[in-house]
Amino acid sequence: MTQPEIIIKAEDIHKSFGSVEVLKGISLEARKHDVISILGSSGSGKSTFLRCMNFLEIPSSGTVTVLGEKVLVRNNKPQDIRQIEVIRSRLGMVFQQFNLWSHRTVLENVMEGPIQVKRVPKPEAREKAEALLVRVGLEDRMHMYSSQLSGGQQQRVAIARALAMEPDAILFDEPTSALDPELVGEVLKVIKSLAAEGTTMIVVTHEMAFAREVSSEVVFLHEGRIAEQGAPDEMFTHPKTDVFERFIAKVR
Amino acid sequence: MNPTDILLEYWPRLLDGTLMTIKLTLLGAMIAAIVSPFFALVRTQASPVAQAPLRLYISFMRGTPILAQLFLVYYGSGQFRPFLQEWGLWGFFRDPFNCALLTFALNSTAYQTEILRGGIMGVNQGEIEAAKAVGMNRITTLRRIVFPHAYRIAWPALGNEVILMMKASALASVVTVFDIMGRSRQVFSRTFDFSVYLWAALIYLCITAIFVLLWRLVEQRLSRHIAPKSSAHSPKETSV
Amino acid sequence: MFELLSFGDAGWGDEMLRGLAITVQLAAVTLPVGLILGFLAAYASLSHARPLRFIGYSYTTIMRGLPEILTLFVVYYGVGLLLNALALWWNPESRGIDFSPFAAGVIALGMVFGAFAGEVIRGAFNSLDLGQAEAGRAIGMTKIQIFRRIQLPQLWRFALPGLGNLWINMLKDTALVSVIALNDLMRMTKVAVGVTKQPFTFYLTVCLIYWAMCLASEFVLAWMERRANRGIRRA
Repeated sequence: MTQPEIIIKAEDIHKSFGSVEVLKGISLEARKHDVISILGSSGSGKSTFLRCMNFLEIPSSGTVTVLGEKVLVRNNKPQDIRQIEVIRSRLGMVFQQFNLWSHRTVLENVMEGPIQVKRVPKPEAREKAEALLVRVGLEDRMHMYSSQLSGGQQQRVAIARALAMEPDAILFDEPTSALDPELVGEVLKVIKSLAAEGTTMIVVTHEMAFAREVSSEVVFLHEGRIAEQGAPDEMFTHPKTDVFERFIAKVR
Repeated sequence: MNPTDILLEYWPRLLDGTLMTIKLTLLGAMIAAIVSPFFALVRTQASPVAQAPLRLYISFMRGTPILAQLFLVYYGSGQFRPFLQEWGLWGFFRDPFNCALLTFALNSTAYQTEILRGGIMGVNQGEIEAAKAVGMNRITTLRRIVFPHAYRIAWPALGNEVILMMKASALASVVTVFDIMGRSRQVFSRTFDFSVYLWAALIYLCITAIFVLLWRLVEQRLSRHIAPKSSAHSPKETSV
Repeated sequence: MFELLSFGDAGWGDEMLRGLAITVQLAAVTLPVGLILGFLAAYASLSHARPLRFIGYSYTTIMRGLPEILTLFVVYYGVGLLLNALALWWNPESRGIDFSPFAAGVIALGMVFGAFAGEVIRGAFNSLDLGQAEAGRAIGMTKIQIFRRIQLPQLWRFALPGLGNLWINMLKDTALVSVIALNDLMRMTKVAVGVTKQPFTFYLTVCLIYWAMCLASEFVLAWMERRANRGIRRA
């Protein structure tokens, strides 16, 4: 059986802040339809690694390839800067703090990327944005501003905004960590539905149940390295390393 | 003469002066408004070395009296008269209105740059990251995300700066520009009736009041996305 | 060029230095006047008595909306006229009183400073933590003790940055009194220009002198702010 094509390939990613080495050489491949959960305690470098994949954080060294668009970084210098914008437009990103553009309405937030970056004509972008907002259940909030929405609603808008770019994969950076507990469910529901449709995703999360239930692969980071990696059921029932065993024991 | 007679007799002059004050203020503020966004970008993004000349200029403009700056431009240019004549610039510097406008524009540029810098630094970093994440380039991010926010944040301070500019424009009367102040001095020297200065004060206050009103209207429009605290959550989702 | 700025008969150094002394004197005398007016304005606009509040509000609003040079003219000519009228009324034989430009400068600049300072002090007062005054009352301090021992020191800390800015503005505004013929730094420079026909040299010099005074003020103010903020963690 032939394997699906590789969407994201990160090779030997290193990242230092000053003299502190946060990522000590991490490689990861995401194929089409993969849902990869990245786990790790705070300070393990998981968010940094995710942000390195779309260059919101410039790695100290390493290579990121997204569907053949390759950016090599040596000595903190990306070798082809123009590729970065291409990669970013192909990868969606959903942030912990939502980061909606607060001066634009919900609908405008979703239309902005397609119009400004992909030069989609306005009526078309609008039609598509409306459909996406229906899909995340916010059709009655289209003309509101983010300050008028709950955290869960804001995060659903952020997901619609990412989807509007028709990305080849979506990166989620702790999408539910900033939410009140009762609002986590509505956001996870949307992410799960994306997974069910075969959307390629890399999710940094603390939600163990979600990671176990939804992911095709779990990656556990510890002190800037991949400590353990594999299929979720296998990993959670038979942890191979002490650190991961302690981690799941503590979180549970 | 009683105060109303002064007004009845000299109102055309005062009206003329009022128009001059408005012209001087708005032109000066507008020239500064065109230049300052670029300077503000230099102040927020360029290397410290590249910023050094700009910082020196801003510090000078803020650390010296506008009157001295005005004299430096208007009288000081006289020292370079042959040179300026050769370059065909003497006609410009001989006119007190041009010198006043140039001085005020230079001065306001310094202040507006610093105000706008504060606005740019106040923009939520997360929103800028979100723009990068969808693949927006630098220019688009500045145009669509950074500047709209920066201007909203800086708006009240920019309004104050325009009012300061208008008040400073009265100094132009010292180099014989006939603005409100200049006309008042002219009338006073002719009539020795002190009440003309009180009328001038009233005109300045009216201009300020009207300006503040207009500025607030725009501010409300710029801030329409900021919900009042009470309606931040719809009743359905009251969070803890 | 340096000869022009030297001291003694050949240069204008000593004349300008004398002007500078007047400028500094003017600013130094205006400061306490302005601060007192500022406190009065803040007191009035925070008062519970409506007429007092109205007076405070009108004073700060009007003064802040007028060009400083107009205020100076109104004070100089207005008070001058008033004094003359009073003198004539008192003694019809008198030739009137000369109102000194220095006094006019102090009053006008003090009134401007006071209006802005009133707003600064009012703002500082509003950001005082009420719980601390309550704590004072709880241990039996009198109203005056609470003001002197608890509120005033903190008021100072909140108001200092704003008042510092006003001081610098006022220092620059002293240049205006040269227009009503006070022999300050600016006017002495003008005299020097008239004789030497070197306007750029002299006006640049005077700018540099004001600039130096402002930078020195900023330096001292930064030190005072650091002192006032001892023990406070910056948010």
